[in-house]
Amino acid sequence: MDGHQRNLHLYEALNARVLGVSMDDVTTNKYFAQSLWLTFPLLSNTLPWMGKAYGAYSDKPPFLKDGTPQWFGRRTVIIDKKGIVRYIRDDSPNFQEILTFLLKLEEEFKGK
Amino acid sequence: MMIKKEGAMTGRTMYRRVAGILLLAGVGLFQGGCATMGEKPKPALVATDKGTVVYEDWYEFKAPMGWKFLREVSGGDFEFGFLKFEKGNFPSQTTFVYDPEPFGSSQDLDTRAKQYCTRFLWNSGILAEVKKQDHVLLWDHPAMMLQLMGENPNRNEKAKSVVYLVKNGDRVISFVITQWRPMDGTFDAEPFERFETFVRSFKFLKKTFYEEIGEKIKKLKG
Repeated sequence: MDGHQRNLHLYEALNARVLGVSMDDVTTNKYFAQSLWLTFPLLSNTLPWMGKAYGAYSDKPPFLKDGTPQWFGRRTVIIDKKGIVRYIRDDSPNFQEILTFLLKLEEEFKGK
Repeated sequence: MMIKKEGAMTGRTMYRRVAGILLLAGVGLFQGGCATMGEKPKPALVATDKGTVVYEDWYEFKAPMGWKFLREVSGGDFEFGFLKFEKGNFPSQTTFVYDPEPFGSSQDLDTRAKQYCTRFLWNSGILAEVKKQDHVLLWDHPAMMLQLMGENPNRNEKAKSVVYLVKNGDRVISFVITQWRPMDGTFDAEPFERFETFVRSFKFLKKTFYEEIGEKIKKLKG
């Protein structure tokens, strides 16, 4: 997450905005953001419909039979200005790939 | 863009990672040998006639002779570095590394140093205390030099580190040396001198990814 914070000025220059999503509650996310000096929003999705919608659970149900939550897998999704998902990658974010992809999208948008 | 929260994983316990890194490097070499059959892969470090080495055509510097070369193969806490196992009981060893993405996000060196120190050596259970902190110039770039020391008596180990946080365009990069000793061990100054030589001789041979993308964004914006 601190990597995204380091690149925030570049995302903004490329007209992109970052949202972090987790199943943690608002208070936990607030302290997490403070610990990493994050200034972009973290969404608290405790009923994890976003994780389901964006496939961060793969094929697993959101809760085990005993009620234990299945946490989101780490996934990066880029959605373009028309709301179309254009990029999905699992595991640690590849910041250079993300920035290169956002540059491509911005060039595409500007018709260059 | 939606991103799952990362685990905070920026601790720098290099020596604990060495076994894993070397194993991966070994696997890579083995596979490389099988795949190419006779075509030698280009070595990561190439010696020049100036007494320096060039790493992957990206950087040139004076390398410490006889130290093991470390390369992060899967992205993580550093790009490359060197390791020396030293005389004495475990964990008598020194590592130094180049890390282009040190923990934290501020471009202000004082603030970045504060952020950086909240995670430094934290996986080792050592609360490293800043003993000295100075603004310096490295290759005419503004930099922050930190000297840190800490110990973990429960694990019978102590560490001494020097960190340079260096402004490079709109990024902050870092060079870090950590020397590990058992609690009754004595720190050795010589590896720190080699680290200074490495850092002060360090040169970028190409524009970094961030310099290039910054230029492309500027051009796109007209």
